[in-house]
Amino acid sequence: MAPISWHSVDLTLDECIKCNICTSHCPVSAVTDLFPGPKYVGPQAQRFRESGQPRSPDHSVDYCSGCRVCNEVCPTGVRIAELNARARAQIVAEKGLPLRNRLLGRNELLGKLGSLAPALANFGLHNSFSRLVAEKVMGIARKAPLPTWSTSGTFRDWLKRTRDRRLKSNKKVVYFHGCATMYYEPFIGKAAVVVLEHNGYEVIVPEQNCCGLPLLSNGEFDAARNYHRNNVGRLAGYARAGLPIVGTSTSCTLTLKEEAPELLDYHDEPATTLKLGTYDIFEWLRELYEVGELRTDFQPLPLKLPYHAPCQQRAHRIGKPALELMALIPELELAESHARCCGIAGTYGYKVEKYQIAMDVGAELFEFVKAQGQDVRYTACDSETCRWQLEHGTALPSRHPIEILAAAYGLYDLERREVVAGKR
Amino acid sequence: MIVDLLVIGAGLAGLIAALRAAEAGLRVKLIAKGMGALYWTPGTIDVLGYLGAEARAVERPWERIDDLPERHPYRIVGARRAQEALDWFRACVAELGLDYGGREDGGNAHTPSPAGAWRPSYLLPAGQRAGDVKDGRPMVIVGFQGMRDFYPHLIARNLEAQGQAARAAVLPWSVLSERRDRNSVQLAEALDEPTTQQRLIDALRLVVKPGERIGLPAILGREAHSQVLTALTQALNAAVFEIATLPPSVPGVRLATALRRSLERRGVRVEIGMEAIGFHAQDGMIEFVETATSARPLKHRAKAFLLATGGVLGGGFDSNPSGRFWETIFDLPLTTPQDRRQWFRPLFLDPQGHPALRGGVAVNDAFQPIDAAGNVVYANLWAAGGLLAHADPIAERSLEGIAIVSAVAAVEAIKAGNMVHV
Repeated sequence: MAPISWHSVDLTLDECIKCNICTSHCPVSAVTDLFPGPKYVGPQAQRFRESGQPRSPDHSVDYCSGCRVCNEVCPTGVRIAELNARARAQIVAEKGLPLRNRLLGRNELLGKLGSLAPALANFGLHNSFSRLVAEKVMGIARKAPLPTWSTSGTFRDWLKRTRDRRLKSNKKVVYFHGCATMYYEPFIGKAAVVVLEHNGYEVIVPEQNCCGLPLLSNGEFDAARNYHRNNVGRLAGYARAGLPIVGTSTSCTLTLKEEAPELLDYHDEPATTLKLGTYDIFEWLRELYEVGELRTDFQPLPLKLPYHAPCQQRAHRIGKPALELMALIPELELAESHARCCGIAGTYGYKVEKYQIAMDVGAELFEFVKAQGQDVRYTACDSETCRWQLEHGTALPSRHPIEILAAAYGLYDLERREVVAGKR
Repeated sequence: MIVDLLVIGAGLAGLIAALRAAEAGLRVKLIAKGMGALYWTPGTIDVLGYLGAEARAVERPWERIDDLPERHPYRIVGARRAQEALDWFRACVAELGLDYGGREDGGNAHTPSPAGAWRPSYLLPAGQRAGDVKDGRPMVIVGFQGMRDFYPHLIARNLEAQGQAARAAVLPWSVLSERRDRNSVQLAEALDEPTTQQRLIDALRLVVKPGERIGLPAILGREAHSQVLTALTQALNAAVFEIATLPPSVPGVRLATALRRSLERRGVRVEIGMEAIGFHAQDGMIEFVETATSARPLKHRAKAFLLATGGVLGGGFDSNPSGRFWETIFDLPLTTPQDRRQWFRPLFLDPQGHPALRGGVAVNDAFQPIDAAGNVVYANLWAAGGLLAHADPIAERSLEGIAIVSAVAAVEAIKAGNMVHV
């Protein structure tokens, strides 16, 4: 395998002044002794992970959820989450990877397989017997909120089906849907397409791979590199031509922008062009708004809506554009969550040994939602796994902000999660 | 979305400036690289503890302002306006549930540091006031077996050596936590729980002697601090005080948290994790500041900008081995010597301090950065806090006082300058 690069890590490690702000904010070390905290596992243990050393000083780094709250609060700029991600990859390189983590890292493959016969796949997976077996044999927590495959076809099926109705325009935007939208939640992609078209943009959806984040967070850097190479090959040309590449999954866009290039040391011209051309969809819509080009013909949406900006969104360091734009919707009463993390952290909360940690981490968010009162019908969050965890922890349906926006434009039924008939 | 005022920095100066401006009706946004320096400080408001080469601590800070360098921030503002700023601060944080006060006579209180030295402070949170040397009663300094960076024997022995009757006591770790290892913030969170409070009360009953003041590490609750303090004081019928710990320092965290929440309630966006990496100016006016994101720099537009990024530790300055010393965002002119050999005096603890630490951003009477000739550098830029020139906040023990006084003065100047509609 390719050597794991440490170059940017070496630079930030020395910025650590041991102030413990990261540990004070770490949502994982707050609830379990199995993770001693970012300062120890990150910059301090890093001293023992010099390349050439045989192994990492201890394996508690496996309990880092990768939420990046430490990076967010660090006053001196230590890239703790990246230190930890690389340390995990080092352990995988030395010791190999359990089948479970191999599987959880491959949501594109799982999505494809299940979509061959989604009803059967859902039946096969979502029953208490299968979940028990999956827990005992594989270590996938039986209560964890696994998604269901779409039984009304994939996102691409819908694109094909509605090809004649799709807007053609001189103004074009490229959409990165990610695996969850493709196989589990095609309605997120539909909402994104109708919002973009409503603003006069033709939506191009090129062939694409998984962004590779589940592989990166499980320490499979080589497999992630293959995915990223494919995505760079398919998408960089659009970015070079000046077309924005927007995504609804905040973790996919973060990976294209920063995680893959940084962790894989992948900085050639096409990868950098893709990085600079990729946007979270609300980041891009906010730019439209700031130059007066976003349509604001919003209908009132009389809802009380708790909104949680997920860790992967906050790691973009772009503020909270979804919150800013949803605030334009009349009668929508937003409540901003300041909870650190929902706990699921991608694939972390699916692992049997980490399920309860994830639920304990999420308690802060679940309690925030509960405190908003009985009349809350939905929560909102930009990340798919976080929405599933939110639903699991609060028993309330959760929506992507793009669904909220589409509903406010009158293009989308928020309850049925369908584009409103007769509209684009 | 353009705001009236962009504040850069989430330390005390930045938070106070944002609060004062929001109170005046300005639309404010605050950005910072990380959680601010309040997490590193004891949560006291130190105004002036030491003056130049004088070995004795300053007794009444406001009577000594004129002995400071001519362009010291306090002298720019004047003692009367400075005191008004602190009165306003006290009223503000009182509304947020933090009771700050000092000695009746306007003098500095002296409370123990975690090394057992006396620290001069002007305003202290209620939880630290019973530690004042003036109180005179004997102390029992209580620590916990296995708690890092808090050594009651060291503190007690050093206090004894300075004439304060003090002894040490150590309680088992299990009083506080069943967890293996917790830092001070996490221990404070544990003491938010009534069952932990009761365990602590029960354990203290066994070690405290009548007439003793009880000194504990500053972990007496994070959210429920005033309740914890009252519960301990009443149950033990004794004066209880906190000794601020090494970072993370809970009294500083409480202050930072209260101010941040107050800002958020007023609709001020407080965005942490945003590192300023550039800016654009035209015709002497700053148009926007750029922060690093996962891809492209993000532009923050505002009518006015307030720089409160702190000193070397806070990240306001950087330096290199060739002797260059610069302000990290706007590369403002500095009074700091640009020759490495002139940064420091030979003795580390030289009472006169070090030129590198007294240098910084020089400002005019309106707290606008100026160059060596006295000209304003950018017409819509102000500065406050630890980066100001002609002050050495660590040596003077004036960090918080300067932060509050200069932040308030800068915001007043912004309002008066009609840069923004009010």
